[in-house]
Amino acid sequence: MKILAIDTSASPVSAALVEDGRLLGEFYLNIRTTHSQTLMPLVSALLETTGTAVSDIDLFAVNAGPGSFTGVRIGVASVKGMSMPLDKPCAQVSTLEAMAYSMPYRHGIVCAVMDARCKQVYNALFRLTDGQVERITEDRAIPVEMLAGELGEMKEPVYLTGDGAELCYEQLHEMENVVLTPVNIRFQHAYGTAVAAARMAEENRLCSSDALMPVYLRLPQAERELKARLANKKHQ
Amino acid sequence: MQIFKTSSAEETEQIGARLAQTLQGTEVVALFGSLGAGKTAFTRGFAAALGVEDGVSSPTFALVHEYAGRVPVYHFDMYRVTSWDDLYTTGFFDYMDNGIMIIEWSENIVDFLPENRIDVTIDHVSENERTIRIEGAEI
Repeated sequence: MKILAIDTSASPVSAALVEDGRLLGEFYLNIRTTHSQTLMPLVSALLETTGTAVSDIDLFAVNAGPGSFTGVRIGVASVKGMSMPLDKPCAQVSTLEAMAYSMPYRHGIVCAVMDARCKQVYNALFRLTDGQVERITEDRAIPVEMLAGELGEMKEPVYLTGDGAELCYEQLHEMENVVLTPVNIRFQHAYGTAVAAARMAEENRLCSSDALMPVYLRLPQAERELKARLANKKHQ
Repeated sequence: MQIFKTSSAEETEQIGARLAQTLQGTEVVALFGSLGAGKTAFTRGFAAALGVEDGVSSPTFALVHEYAGRVPVYHFDMYRVTSWDDLYTTGFFDYMDNGIMIIEWSENIVDFLPENRIDVTIDHVSENERTIRIEGAEI
Protein backbone atom coordinates (compact mmCIF):
# COMPACT_ATOMS: atom_id res chain seq x y z
CA MET A 1 0.00 0.00 0.00
CA LYS A 2 1.38 3.41 -1.01
CA ILE A 3 0.63 6.26 1.36
CA LEU A 4 1.14 9.93 0.53
CA ALA A 5 1.24 11.92 3.76
CA ILE A 6 1.51 15.65 4.27
CA ASP A 7 2.02 17.95 7.23
CA THR A 8 1.30 21.69 7.23
CA SER A 9 0.08 21.96 10.82
CA ALA A 10 2.69 24.45 12.06
CA SER A 11 5.75 26.27 10.79
CA PRO A 12 7.37 23.35 8.85
CA VAL A 13 5.84 21.73 5.77
CA SER A 14 6.56 18.18 4.61
CA ALA A 15 5.39 15.43 2.28
CA ALA A 16 6.30 11.75 2.55
CA LEU A 17 5.73 8.71 0.40
CA VAL A 18 5.64 5.42 2.31
CA GLU A 19 5.07 1.94 0.90
CA ASP A 20 4.43 -0.97 3.27
CA GLY A 21 6.28 0.71 6.10
CA ARG A 22 9.24 1.76 3.99
CA LEU A 23 9.96 5.46 3.50
CA LEU A 24 10.43 5.96 -0.25
CA GLY A 25 10.91 9.70 -0.03
CA GLU A 26 10.28 12.70 2.17
CA PHE A 27 10.64 16.41 1.47
CA TYR A 28 10.71 18.87 4.37
CA LEU A 29 11.03 22.65 4.56
CA ASN A 30 11.10 24.89 7.60
CA ILE A 31 11.55 28.35 6.18
CA ARG A 32 8.50 30.32 7.33
CA THR A 33 6.86 30.61 3.95
CA THR A 34 3.17 30.19 3.31
CA HIS A 35 2.34 26.52 2.95
CA SER A 36 -0.06 27.39 0.15
CA GLN A 37 3.00 28.25 -1.94
CA THR A 38 5.33 25.40 -0.93
CA LEU A 39 3.17 22.33 -0.35
CA MET A 40 2.15 21.45 -3.91
CA PRO A 41 5.63 21.97 -5.43
CA LEU A 42 6.93 19.68 -2.67
CA VAL A 43 4.32 16.99 -3.39
CA SER A 44 4.80 17.23 -7.11
CA ALA A 45 8.61 16.97 -6.82
CA LEU A 46 8.26 13.99 -4.48
CA LEU A 47 6.00 12.12 -6.90
CA GLU A 48 8.18 13.01 -9.86
CA THR A 49 11.51 12.02 -8.30
CA THR A 50 10.12 8.75 -6.98
CA GLY A 51 8.49 7.99 -10.34
CA THR A 52 5.05 7.80 -8.79
CA ALA A 53 1.78 8.80 -10.44
CA VAL A 54 -0.81 10.34 -8.17
CA SER A 55 -3.16 7.53 -9.24
CA ASP A 56 -0.67 5.02 -7.72
CA ILE A 57 -1.45 6.38 -4.25
CA ASP A 58 -3.73 4.10 -2.22
CA LEU A 59 -4.17 6.30 0.81
CA PHE A 60 -3.86 10.05 1.41
CA ALA A 61 -2.95 11.09 4.94
CA VAL A 62 -2.85 14.51 6.55
CA ASN A 63 -2.18 16.01 9.95
CA ALA A 64 -5.68 17.43 10.40
CA GLY A 65 -4.99 19.17 13.70
CA PRO A 66 -4.40 20.41 16.21
CA GLY A 67 -2.33 23.16 14.70
CA SER A 68 -2.31 26.53 13.06
CA PHE A 69 -5.69 27.62 11.69
CA THR A 70 -4.55 28.32 8.15
CA GLY A 71 -1.94 25.55 8.07
CA VAL A 72 -4.42 22.83 8.92
CA ARG A 73 -6.92 24.13 6.35
CA ILE A 74 -4.29 24.14 3.62
CA GLY A 75 -3.31 20.53 4.39
CA VAL A 76 -6.85 19.20 4.64
CA ALA A 77 -8.05 21.05 1.53
CA SER A 78 -5.07 19.78 -0.49
CA VAL A 79 -5.61 16.16 0.50
CA LYS A 80 -9.32 16.47 -0.25
CA GLY A 81 -8.44 17.85 -3.66
CA MET A 82 -6.03 15.04 -4.48
CA SER A 83 -8.10 12.14 -3.16
CA MET A 84 -11.58 13.15 -4.28
CA PRO A 85 -11.20 12.74 -8.07
CA LEU A 86 -9.48 9.36 -7.53
CA ASP A 87 -12.05 8.27 -4.96
CA LYS A 88 -9.28 7.11 -2.60
CA PRO A 89 -9.57 6.94 1.20
CA CYS A 90 -8.09 9.51 3.56
CA ALA A 91 -6.57 9.31 7.02
CA GLN A 92 -7.42 12.21 9.32
CA VAL A 93 -4.36 11.98 11.53
CA SER A 94 -3.83 13.77 14.84
CA THR A 95 -0.71 15.92 14.55
CA LEU A 96 0.29 14.85 18.07
CA GLU A 97 -0.13 11.16 17.27
CA ALA A 98 1.98 11.57 14.12
CA MET A 99 4.78 12.95 16.32
CA ALA A 100 4.65 9.86 18.56
CA TYR A 101 4.81 7.56 15.52
CA SER A 102 7.98 9.16 14.27
CA MET A 103 9.98 7.99 17.32
CA PRO A 104 8.85 4.42 18.12
CA TYR A 105 12.40 3.24 18.89
CA ARG A 106 12.16 4.83 22.33
CA HIS A 107 10.74 3.28 25.48
CA GLY A 108 8.71 5.46 27.79
CA ILE A 109 6.28 8.33 27.44
CA VAL A 110 6.12 10.63 24.44
CA CYS A 111 4.79 14.02 25.43
CA ALA A 112 3.88 15.73 22.16
CA VAL A 113 3.42 19.47 22.67
CA MET A 114 2.60 22.26 20.25
CA ASP A 115 2.72 25.91 21.23
CA ALA A 116 -0.89 27.17 21.16
CA ARG A 117 0.18 30.67 22.33
CA CYS A 118 -1.12 32.42 25.43
CA LYS A 119 0.93 30.00 27.63
CA GLN A 120 -1.21 27.10 26.46
CA VAL A 121 -0.15 24.00 24.57
CA TYR A 122 -1.82 21.34 22.48
CA ASN A 123 -0.77 18.07 24.00
CA ALA A 124 -1.29 14.32 24.14
CA LEU A 125 0.68 11.59 25.91
CA PHE A 126 1.60 8.24 24.38
CA ARG A 127 3.35 5.19 25.79
CA LEU A 128 5.99 3.52 23.62
CA THR A 129 6.73 -0.16 24.23
CA ASP A 130 8.60 -2.43 21.81
CA GLY A 131 7.81 -0.23 18.84
CA GLN A 132 4.11 -0.01 19.74
CA VAL A 133 2.39 3.33 20.30
CA GLU A 134 -0.38 3.43 22.87
CA ARG A 135 -2.41 6.59 23.45
CA ILE A 136 -2.69 7.64 27.12
CA THR A 137 -4.64 10.91 26.82
CA GLU A 138 -6.91 12.49 24.23
CA ASP A 139 -5.62 15.48 22.26
CA ARG A 140 -6.23 18.49 24.47
CA ALA A 141 -5.38 22.16 24.97
CA ILE A 142 -3.98 22.84 28.44
CA PRO A 143 -1.91 25.47 30.24
CA VAL A 144 1.83 24.73 30.25
CA GLU A 145 1.86 24.80 34.05
CA MET A 146 -0.82 22.15 34.35
CA LEU A 147 1.01 19.85 31.95
CA ALA A 148 4.26 20.38 33.84
CA GLY A 149 2.48 19.34 37.04
CA GLU A 150 1.18 16.16 35.41
CA LEU A 151 4.57 15.18 34.03
CA GLY A 152 6.20 15.91 37.36
CA GLU A 153 4.46 12.86 38.80
CA MET A 154 5.71 10.44 36.18
CA LYS A 155 8.49 7.98 36.90
CA GLU A 156 9.12 6.69 33.35
CA PRO A 157 11.35 8.50 30.86
CA VAL A 158 9.37 11.35 29.26
CA TYR A 159 10.37 12.55 25.79
CA LEU A 160 9.26 16.10 25.06
CA THR A 161 8.72 16.63 21.36
CA GLY A 162 7.10 19.29 19.16
CA ASP A 163 7.41 23.05 18.84
CA GLY A 164 6.12 23.49 22.41
CA ALA A 165 8.70 21.09 23.88
CA GLU A 166 11.18 23.78 24.81
CA LEU A 167 8.45 25.81 26.51
CA CYS A 168 7.67 22.81 28.76
CA TYR A 169 11.29 21.88 29.25
CA GLU A 170 11.96 25.29 30.80
CA GLN A 171 9.70 24.25 33.67
CA LEU A 172 10.86 20.63 33.89
CA HIS A 173 14.58 20.49 33.15
CA GLU A 174 15.44 19.68 36.74
CA MET A 175 13.70 16.34 36.42
CA GLU A 176 16.11 13.60 35.43
CA ASN A 177 13.54 11.51 33.56
CA VAL A 178 12.48 14.36 31.24
CA VAL A 179 14.35 14.49 27.94
CA LEU A 180 14.11 17.22 25.33
CA THR A 181 14.08 15.50 21.92
CA PRO A 182 17.03 16.59 19.75
CA VAL A 183 16.16 19.42 17.41
CA ASN A 184 16.59 17.37 14.22
CA ILE A 185 13.68 15.10 15.14
CA ARG A 186 11.71 17.45 17.40
CA PHE A 187 9.16 18.80 14.93
CA GLN A 188 6.31 16.98 13.23
CA HIS A 189 6.97 15.61 9.79
CA ALA A 190 4.96 13.64 7.30
CA TYR A 191 6.70 10.29 7.82
CA GLY A 192 5.07 10.03 11.25
CA THR A 193 1.74 10.93 9.67
CA ALA A 194 2.11 8.07 7.18
CA VAL A 195 2.97 5.52 9.88
CA ALA A 196 0.01 6.65 12.00
CA ALA A 197 -2.20 6.39 8.89
CA ALA A 198 -1.05 2.81 8.22
CA ARG A 199 -2.14 1.87 11.73
CA MET A 200 -5.49 3.63 11.17
CA ALA A 201 -5.94 1.62 7.97
CA GLU A 202 -5.40 -1.63 9.91
CA GLU A 203 -8.01 -0.53 12.42
CA ASN A 204 -10.54 0.57 9.78
CA ARG A 205 -10.41 4.19 10.89
CA LEU A 206 -10.05 5.79 7.45
CA CYS A 207 -12.57 8.22 5.99
CA SER A 208 -13.71 9.49 2.60
CA SER A 209 -12.39 12.74 1.17
CA ASP A 210 -15.86 14.13 1.82
CA ALA A 211 -15.73 13.36 5.52
CA LEU A 212 -12.16 14.58 6.04
CA MET A 213 -12.25 17.67 8.29
CA PRO A 214 -9.86 19.96 10.15
CA VAL A 215 -9.76 19.28 13.89
CA TYR A 216 -9.46 22.33 16.10
CA LEU A 217 -9.11 22.31 19.87
CA ARG A 218 -10.44 25.22 21.89
CA LEU A 219 -8.31 26.70 24.61
CA PRO A 220 -9.88 26.43 28.08
CA GLN A 221 -9.21 30.13 28.42
CA ALA A 222 -11.57 30.66 25.47
CA GLU A 223 -14.56 29.98 27.66
CA ARG A 224 -14.06 33.42 29.10
CA GLU A 225 -15.47 36.45 27.40
CA LEU A 226 -12.69 38.05 25.40
CA LYS A 227 -13.78 41.59 25.44
CA ALA A 228 -11.99 43.75 27.99
CA ARG A 229 -14.37 45.77 30.06
CA LEU A 230 -13.78 49.23 28.71
CA ALA A 231 -15.21 50.89 31.80
CA ASN A 232 -12.50 49.30 33.92
CA LYS A 233 -9.67 50.29 31.67
CA LYS A 234 -7.51 52.93 33.18
CA HIS A 235 -6.97 54.75 29.91
CA GLN A 236 -10.63 55.41 29.26
CA MET B 1 6.51 55.27 28.93
CA GLN B 2 6.41 58.32 26.66
CA ILE B 3 3.55 60.75 26.13
CA PHE B 4 3.20 62.95 23.05
CA LYS B 5 0.73 65.71 22.24
CA THR B 6 -0.28 66.17 18.61
CA SER B 7 -2.53 68.81 17.09
CA SER B 8 -3.25 67.35 13.64
CA ALA B 9 -3.60 64.02 11.86
CA GLU B 10 -0.24 64.71 10.17
CA GLU B 11 1.49 65.01 13.54
CA THR B 12 -0.12 61.74 14.64
CA GLU B 13 1.22 60.11 11.46
CA GLN B 14 4.69 61.41 12.33
CA ILE B 15 4.63 59.74 15.74
CA GLY B 16 3.60 56.50 14.00
CA ALA B 17 6.54 56.90 11.64
CA ARG B 18 8.98 57.48 14.50
CA LEU B 19 7.81 54.34 16.29
CA ALA B 20 8.11 52.29 13.08
CA GLN B 21 11.71 53.38 12.64
CA THR B 22 12.69 51.74 15.95
CA LEU B 23 11.37 48.26 15.01
CA GLN B 24 13.22 45.14 13.91
CA GLY B 25 10.54 43.24 11.99
CA THR B 26 8.44 40.96 14.21
CA GLU B 27 7.00 43.30 16.84
CA VAL B 28 3.38 43.45 17.93
CA VAL B 29 1.97 46.98 18.26
CA ALA B 30 -1.38 47.18 20.06
CA LEU B 31 -3.43 50.32 19.41
CA PHE B 32 -6.01 51.49 21.94
CA GLY B 33 -8.42 54.39 21.44
CA SER B 34 -12.03 55.09 20.60
CA LEU B 35 -13.66 55.80 17.21
CA GLY B 36 -11.98 58.70 15.44
CA ALA B 37 -9.05 58.81 17.85
CA GLY B 38 -6.56 58.55 15.01
CA LYS B 39 -5.51 54.90 15.02
CA THR B 40 -5.66 54.70 11.23
CA ALA B 41 -3.73 57.98 10.82
CA PHE B 42 -1.08 56.60 13.19
CA THR B 43 -0.93 53.39 11.16
CA ARG B 44 -0.66 55.34 7.89
CA GLY B 45 2.51 57.09 9.06
CA PHE B 46 3.75 53.88 10.66
CA ALA B 47 3.36 51.83 7.47
CA ALA B 48 4.84 54.52 5.20
CA ALA B 49 7.98 54.60 7.36
CA LEU B 50 8.32 50.85 6.80
CA GLY B 51 8.30 51.34 3.04
CA VAL B 52 4.64 50.51 2.43
CA GLU B 53 3.42 52.25 -0.72
CA ASP B 54 -0.13 50.87 -0.77
CA GLY B 55 -2.98 52.93 0.62
CA VAL B 56 -3.63 52.21 4.30
CA SER B 57 -7.21 51.90 5.47
CA SER B 58 -8.93 50.24 8.44
CA PRO B 59 -9.53 46.56 7.73
CA THR B 60 -12.86 46.69 9.58
CA PHE B 61 -14.47 44.20 7.22
CA ALA B 62 -11.45 42.31 5.88
CA LEU B 63 -10.07 42.00 9.47
CA VAL B 64 -6.49 42.15 8.23
CA HIS B 65 -4.66 44.00 5.49
CA GLU B 66 -1.24 42.75 4.48
CA TYR B 67 1.20 45.37 3.25
CA ALA B 68 4.53 44.69 1.58
CA GLY B 69 7.06 47.02 3.15
CA ARG B 70 10.73 46.38 3.82
CA VAL B 71 9.26 43.81 6.19
CA PRO B 72 5.69 42.45 5.96
CA VAL B 73 3.21 44.63 7.87
CA TYR B 74 -0.04 43.08 9.07
CA HIS B 75 -2.73 45.64 9.92
CA PHE B 76 -5.55 44.17 12.00
CA ASP B 77 -8.84 45.67 13.08
CA MET B 78 -10.42 43.80 16.00
CA TYR B 79 -13.60 45.90 16.14
CA ARG B 80 -15.78 42.94 15.16
CA VAL B 81 -13.65 40.29 16.87
CA THR B 82 -15.17 39.46 20.22
CA SER B 83 -14.51 35.77 20.91
CA TRP B 84 -11.58 33.38 20.96
CA ASP B 85 -12.99 31.54 17.93
CA ASP B 86 -13.23 34.82 16.01
CA LEU B 87 -9.63 35.61 16.81
CA TYR B 88 -8.28 32.14 16.02
CA THR B 89 -10.12 31.98 12.70
CA THR B 90 -8.64 35.28 11.51
CA GLY B 91 -5.36 33.34 11.46
CA PHE B 92 -4.07 35.90 13.97
CA PHE B 93 -1.60 33.52 15.62
CA ASP B 94 -0.24 32.39 12.25
CA TYR B 95 0.90 35.93 11.52
CA MET B 96 2.96 36.22 14.71
CA ASP B 97 6.74 36.25 14.25
CA ASN B 98 6.34 36.55 10.47
CA GLY B 99 6.18 40.33 10.28
CA ILE B 100 5.16 43.44 12.17
CA MET B 101 1.61 43.35 13.51
CA ILE B 102 -0.27 46.57 14.22
CA ILE B 103 -3.67 46.04 15.79
CA GLU B 104 -6.57 48.49 15.98
CA TRP B 105 -9.20 47.89 18.69
CA SER B 106 -6.76 45.88 20.79
CA GLU B 107 -9.20 46.45 23.67
CA ASN B 108 -11.18 43.51 22.29
CA ILE B 109 -8.38 40.94 22.48
CA VAL B 110 -6.16 42.30 25.23
CA ASP B 111 -6.05 39.01 27.16
CA PHE B 112 -4.64 37.18 24.16
CA LEU B 113 -1.94 39.60 23.13
CA PRO B 114 1.66 38.56 23.81
CA GLU B 115 3.21 40.14 26.90
CA ASN B 116 6.15 41.29 24.85
CA ARG B 117 4.43 44.04 22.85
CA ILE B 118 4.20 47.78 22.35
CA ASP B 119 1.05 49.55 23.55
CA VAL B 120 -0.04 52.78 21.90
CA THR B 121 -2.98 54.58 23.48
CA ILE B 122 -4.50 57.54 21.64
CA ASP B 123 -6.88 59.84 23.52
CA HIS B 124 -9.08 62.68 22.29
CA VAL B 125 -8.25 66.07 23.83
CA SER B 126 -10.16 68.34 21.46
CA GLU B 127 -11.28 68.17 17.85
CA ASN B 128 -7.72 68.15 16.51
CA GLU B 129 -5.58 67.49 19.58
CA ARG B 130 -4.61 64.05 20.81
CA THR B 131 -2.36 62.57 23.45
CA ILE B 132 -0.44 59.47 22.40
CA ARG B 133 1.02 57.23 25.08
CA ILE B 134 3.63 54.68 24.06
CA GLU B 135 4.65 51.83 26.37
CA GLY B 136 7.18 49.12 25.55
CA ALA B 137 9.34 51.14 23.12
CA GLU B 138 11.49 54.28 23.13
CA ILE B 139 11.10 56.50 20.10
